[in-house]
Amino acid sequence: MSGIEPHQIHLGAQVLVVGSGAGGATTAALLAEAGFDVLIVEEGPWVDQDTVTAFSLEQMDRQYRSGGVTVALGLPSIAYTEGRCAGGGTEVNSGLYFRPPLDVVERWRRDFRIDGLDVDELDVIADEVEQAINVTTVPGNATPASEILRRGAAALNWRHSEIPRWMKYPAGGDAVTGKRQSMTRTYLPRAFAAGARMLVDTRVDRLVSNGLNVTAHVTYGDGTGRTPGGAITAAHVFVCGGAIQTPALLQRSGMRSHIGRSLAVHPTVKLSAKFADEVNVPDDVPVHQVKEFAPDLSFGGSASHSGLVALALTDEWKTFAPAIEDWRRMTIYYAAITSEGRGWVQAIPKVRDPLVTYRLSHRDREVLRSGLARLALLTLEAGATEVYPSFRGAPVVRGRGDLATMQERFAASKASVMTVHLCSTVPLGEHRDRCGADSFGKVHGADRVWVNDASLLPTAPGVNPQATVMAFAIRNARHFIEEQSLRQPHTNRGRT
Amino acid sequence: MLVMRSVPSAPLVGPFADRLLALDFPALDPARRAQAIEFTLRRVDGLPSVMRFGVTVIAAIFRGLLAVPGGDAVVRFLARTPQPLLGEYVRMVRSLGYAYIYETWPDTRADGSCPVAQEDVPA
Repeated sequence: MSGIEPHQIHLGAQVLVVGSGAGGATTAALLAEAGFDVLIVEEGPWVDQDTVTAFSLEQMDRQYRSGGVTVALGLPSIAYTEGRCAGGGTEVNSGLYFRPPLDVVERWRRDFRIDGLDVDELDVIADEVEQAINVTTVPGNATPASEILRRGAAALNWRHSEIPRWMKYPAGGDAVTGKRQSMTRTYLPRAFAAGARMLVDTRVDRLVSNGLNVTAHVTYGDGTGRTPGGAITAAHVFVCGGAIQTPALLQRSGMRSHIGRSLAVHPTVKLSAKFADEVNVPDDVPVHQVKEFAPDLSFGGSASHSGLVALALTDEWKTFAPAIEDWRRMTIYYAAITSEGRGWVQAIPKVRDPLVTYRLSHRDREVLRSGLARLALLTLEAGATEVYPSFRGAPVVRGRGDLATMQERFAASKASVMTVHLCSTVPLGEHRDRCGADSFGKVHGADRVWVNDASLLPTAPGVNPQATVMAFAIRNARHFIEEQSLRQPHTNRGRT
Repeated sequence: MLVMRSVPSAPLVGPFADRLLALDFPALDPARRAQAIEFTLRRVDGLPSVMRFGVTVIAAIFRGLLAVPGGDAVVRFLARTPQPLLGEYVRMVRSLGYAYIYETWPDTRADGSCPVAQEDVPA
């Protein structure tokens, strides 16, 4: 891939972008296209999509942080995943697209005092994003696993729809032939075409500002501390490492005010449902979602290859084990909630990774309980012969009559709770008692350091946040460009 | 940046993972079990720092139990009976092992036996 730089001891750029996911790649592309000299630093490797099987253990090894084994400690602990590769989470997620929810954005503007936040402007940016990443519905029929969600919701008269994805499908292709239009296929090539450079396998340990510029101290390679290091000097730094790594880097760099104190997620619980026919699609996810109880509660489908089905059965393996032999007739569904709980991200001196904690509220636990029961009902209505909820002590659910027992036995502390949507660790706005960054992402009290990723979203938006992250990142990048143009109207912004 | 010194997981986690998978999958080919354990150890070695520290402490307790007379029975009990905190370690080792076994050999039966011939086991 052109644009990838070799590791060097000293490097310079006008703008350094830390992270290359939904926030970092869009920021880099816009700034490079505006004439800024941009260097992107990515902790993980560049992995071409075609070289790895989606949702496989190999993908987790190559493109996820810690092989996908990352946990926010609590009762229960919540497993989460972070992309750690060029393109970040956009390379490994389901590719389901939700426009920024404008009612939520309006609430953010009011509650967090976000200056200049125009919901109509965000809506226009969303149009632009949809063009850039080719948001579309599947050609022809959805997969059987997706059709189950549609059928179950229709039987219950629950609101549901097909969620479009950022995908390109070949002519004559079907639901599983799409190519994800992730950052490595969209905004990163745009950034390179405009002159941006990129370092991969490079971890930023800390940022040091002297008022005139910022120096990023980095380690190359696998980042264990035994690899060579270097320094990158830039006039401005955009930190876009995601809701866990961004606050951790800021804290390691001495920026702590309202940084990492308000982690918000969409906790999910899951179940496996068995049907009479083969419904499993190993390397894709259902595109239908059920929004009857949104924004509090949503239902969708997960990747369901044989290893993941086994994983979903482990909590009650002694009872559920025989089901694994029918994994081709099984698929995994989840209930996701908008949580009232909050978590912390805390960098610890001399320790490489931050401590992450999360605490579910009492209401969260009850919504998870009712959510799992409603999800089980939906799969039964869609024709499931047996349902296996993922919590210790769960019964096999074979009919409506078993749902009461399931609800009675459920406790969030016994469930495998997980999330893939992490945000809100550096909320933006002028409410200085709550916000870590200003209305356009500049870190409060810091010099020349901006945040431009999911960390900025003041709360969890209740839907897949990628489009909202991209829309905010584009808005903030454009504001930065305008601001710099006013300051240096007659220069070429440092490009040599 | 200084990094938390890491203790290799193999001596601490390996024997417990072996015992756990042998209990859960009595008919699983030992070569496959060894591969699943190798995968589990690799993932444990890659855990984030704080989690790695916690796992190492709990793994040391389990390793100690396996080394004393009667400890094996205690480990069997802990493997079958979920306990706060200690149970999270069992759950993690189990999850990693199961995910590997069923992604690599999807037709593995619930007892670990597999219809695929032994010579098909990857080297």
